[in-house]
Amino acid sequence: MPRALPAGAGIGLRAPHYREIERRRPDLAFLEVHSENFFGDGGPALAWLERLRSLYRLSLHGVGLSLGSADPLDERHLARLERLVRRFEPALVSEHLSWSSVGGWHANDLLPLPRTREAVAHVAARIGIVQERLGRRILIENVSSYLEVPASEMPEWEFLAAVARRSGCGILLDVNNVHVNAVNHGFDARAYLAAIEPAAVAEFHLAGHETGEVGLVDTHATPVAPEVWSLYEEAVARIGPRPTLVERDADIPALDVLLAEAARAGAILGGARCPARAAA
Amino acid sequence: MTSLERFQRAFVRSLAGGSGAGRAPRTRSARQQAAGLAVYRANLRAGRHDALAAAYPVVRRLVGEAFFREMALRYAERWPSRSGDLHGFGEALPRFIERYRRARALPWLADVARLEWARHESLDAAEAPPWDPAALLRVPPKRRGALRLALHPSARLVESPHPIVAILEANAEGRDGTPRRHAGPDRVLVWRRGLEVRVRRLGRAPWTLARALAGGATLGEALAALGTGSARSFGPALARLGAEGVIAGPVPPADEA
Repeated sequence: MPRALPAGAGIGLRAPHYREIERRRPDLAFLEVHSENFFGDGGPALAWLERLRSLYRLSLHGVGLSLGSADPLDERHLARLERLVRRFEPALVSEHLSWSSVGGWHANDLLPLPRTREAVAHVAARIGIVQERLGRRILIENVSSYLEVPASEMPEWEFLAAVARRSGCGILLDVNNVHVNAVNHGFDARAYLAAIEPAAVAEFHLAGHETGEVGLVDTHATPVAPEVWSLYEEAVARIGPRPTLVERDADIPALDVLLAEAARAGAILGGARCPARAAA
Repeated sequence: MTSLERFQRAFVRSLAGGSGAGRAPRTRSARQQAAGLAVYRANLRAGRHDALAAAYPVVRRLVGEAFFREMALRYAERWPSRSGDLHGFGEALPRFIERYRRARALPWLADVARLEWARHESLDAAEAPPWDPAALLRVPPKRRGALRLALHPSARLVESPHPIVAILEANAEGRDGTPRRHAGPDRVLVWRRGLEVRVRRLGRAPWTLARALAGGATLGEALAALGTGSARSFGPALARLGAEGVIAGPVPPADEA
């Protein structure tokens, strides 16, 4: 098991920044990548990851495993993830509390699950399979959603906590997604934070959203919003400092823009008064 | 069927089921659900469009964004994604273009797409140590003909009656789209050397040789494929492919493997 990641700030590693990061070696606690972007057998993407991995700790963040799907787990996908984990020995491995596919048809998106006891049991069992296969604990992330899923039996925070408890996985708490869903579905984001067991949380995500017809849409294309920064401060105060990622997947800005956001997250982490330790 | 599966199948049906136009939702919550579904539908389309645009920048430039967007939609209906990883999503686009009515006036488009897909695949194909042509001298001459050499895992061969390499080059970033040649045929080798994908037209001898090796032929069989009249170009073609990292190494004969 790799040693625990310090509670500092990291950024998402995107191709336009490979060279500059290698040259400048900015002070970052870790780099995070989308696992699927490195599922190839060779070539420049893997070569760059190899070079940057020798300089930074790494977090592998998956978007395509479809943990909540009623379909069987995709063996090919899991095998590629396993190969990547064994090769790069990341400090963190994470996926989403969502589904993307059914009947072999893939939406390649993070779709919302019905928050039922049936879904808790289903997802937790599959997380168990993945954890066993990878020989390590994974984290699951709460996702943004844009419609009410019918027949839900519990609020989102209970659903997330129940899956984590039952599977033994950690929680990657995306603070932007909490805020987006609080606005879209009319709940209190503070109540969400209060309901999460601090020891289960092993990472925070921060990202930008945009306003749409439904309310807020999680686009990862804009800077972190002021409301999300203040919710993040509360999350750090309540839960404790954890490795924090500044995520930007579209309209990738200059590296310095991301570094400034990471520095701001780092300052909030550094100022936390009650550094409760993450159970890594 | 579990209730989870029922929910997911119904969700996918409404997601894939067009714009939802025709029946305006009456209640406020129904309107909100419809708007929410529209966000997922837009994400779905954008994800597929962007995956295709990343693999097919030249096709996109040739047909223009409006055409490309429409084609991406139709392609995704015909060839939906079957994987949680979108990197392989565009594989069937060349075949799709061949039958796509709106592309009929562009007979070279499918082959340009083939060339772009070859480039896309080559980029993240496996690594392999290059074959050293000098190694051939260490094999006794009598046994050279039975030797099987493998192409590098990143090597792809594309053949077209159209000048697809000229079209590809003319539509690279910063070029104005005017091809330097207006007639094919083009026999093209795509391979990765170091971290860079290369695209090159081959003459008859290296093309025949590369095709034979890709098909698992022995050197003797490759030489025969070239024909006796061209035997003299065999050695130089082999040396050139070898020197440029197109050949990965000998495949051990079945009895040694």
